[in-house]
Amino acid sequence: MIGGGKIKMSDEKIVKREAPEKITSKDLNKSWLRWWYANEIPHTYDRMLAPSFLWAMTPTLRKLYKNKDDLKEAYIRHTQFFNTQCNWGGGTILGITTSLEEARAKALAEGEEDKAVSPEVINSTKIGLMGPLAGIGDAIDSGTVQYIFIAIALPWAQAGLAVGALFPWIAFTVATFLYGNYFTKLGYRLGRTAASEITGGKSMKKITNGLSILGLFMMGILAASYIKVSSPLVWTISGKKFELQSILDSILPGLLPLLTVLGVYTYFDKKGLNITKALVVLSIILAILGFFRIL
Amino acid sequence: MGQASLSVSQALIIAIWVAAVESRSLGYATLNLRFSPLMTGLVVGIVMGDVPNAMIIAASIQMIYMGLVAPGGNLPSEPAVATAIAVPVALLAGLKPTAAISVAVPVGLLGNYLYQVRYLMNTFVIRLTDKYAAETNDKGLTLSIIVIPIITSFALFVPSMFIALYYGAPVIASFTSSFSGSLFFHVLDVVGGGLAALGIALTLKVIGKKQYLIFFMLAYFMAVMLKPLKISTVTFAVVGVIVAYLFTLATSSKESEK
Repeated sequence: MIGGGKIKMSDEKIVKREAPEKITSKDLNKSWLRWWYANEIPHTYDRMLAPSFLWAMTPTLRKLYKNKDDLKEAYIRHTQFFNTQCNWGGGTILGITTSLEEARAKALAEGEEDKAVSPEVINSTKIGLMGPLAGIGDAIDSGTVQYIFIAIALPWAQAGLAVGALFPWIAFTVATFLYGNYFTKLGYRLGRTAASEITGGKSMKKITNGLSILGLFMMGILAASYIKVSSPLVWTISGKKFELQSILDSILPGLLPLLTVLGVYTYFDKKGLNITKALVVLSIILAILGFFRIL
Repeated sequence: MGQASLSVSQALIIAIWVAAVESRSLGYATLNLRFSPLMTGLVVGIVMGDVPNAMIIAASIQMIYMGLVAPGGNLPSEPAVATAIAVPVALLAGLKPTAAISVAVPVGLLGNYLYQVRYLMNTFVIRLTDKYAAETNDKGLTLSIIVIPIITSFALFVPSMFIALYYGAPVIASFTSSFSGSLFFHVLDVVGGGLAALGIALTLKVIGKKQYLIFFMLAYFMAVMLKPLKISTVTFAVVGVIVAYLFTLATSSKESEK
């Protein structure tokens, strides 16, 4: 399983791990700058902004995990589906994730694997937070802050002045960069407090399960808007027009996207996580169905 | 005005600017550049040597996008792409901004499709990212996450924008009208719309125990049923937290009874 594996111990020997390096404010700044820059560059259909998040985290992960297998596991962990708004979502989640990874690395180095923050907790926390924080961020940054600056500058632009373009761009970019950076640090502090409560406590299993449920719940919400599969099929028998999609909607709305995701899930469940094969097969099936206008 | 059309170098500079914005290669600084026409208007003004008039036109386009002025017809998608077309058209042909922006509609549409092609190309490049992540190869990751996606975007946007700017938007219009609704764009839509299922299925497999899949189904049908109510993700997250809390509460009290 991706991200959840344990280090194989040869001859029952306990793997000795070097202690992680300390994460400083500078590391958080660097991580934030990398996320801010990569942000939408590698946007994909299937993982959304996950590559950017991984790229932001790599220097931090390298400082934390001195064991090669732990590092690899952490890298792969952050290749998973991730999508959020840059500042409110990205900044905050970057900080929280850094603190959770740090807590995990420390526990592993101290040989307390069973008390370490589990990969499931890290993944579920990211997934639980990314949707709602994106909702907040989009409404505030793209929808409000940006237009406040534009509204201030519009009279200058109407007068033919270059500052009418420069001011909203620079002001919006600088302001969001600064508070996004602040959210990274805030997230890191919040995450540290949370991590110390999770680890070692009796409630660890409860929290892990609760987060896992929240993660799955939020994926369900996202699936409903992200997966777009519908059929344009229409046919006429004795003058009566039949539309496949509206027939399906009258039985069970959202059936086709759900079947698609459960189909891929079952494939992974039965055949293992062969992602490349799944991507190629799914693309070909969709392209063929699209070509014949069945989808 | 001394010129009737853009020179090769003028068209090329504007095309490169649009590619820099649409590739998102200037980080989050491109958010405003992509969705507001103002900066693109300024760049076109500098390239064409008429900043004051370019700014006045860009300001009118901004007001159209903010809903303060009604457009003549359809509003083009991809404001930066549309502005890069509309401002030169308005400056050279003396069209009003509302008329100039409607000239840009087909190019905006093409820009929107190219943006989706970008996603599709990145979706295949992510196989490389998976490989380099498993090798913990940082240089490889920079290549597959930053360098290749930027090159891909430039390869998509520079030639098409150059053609639209140098040979005129009508060339693009005849292209998109013969292609849009055509099979190629339809297949692109279908593949793009379905591929999200892959990432979501993978995440379900990785984060959740199988017996909890029911919570995915619960949320999915809630979201589908309540779609007309336009409930925010934040609200759903609150419901999600309550559901998760109730479940852990119920299961832990069952355990303590034992």
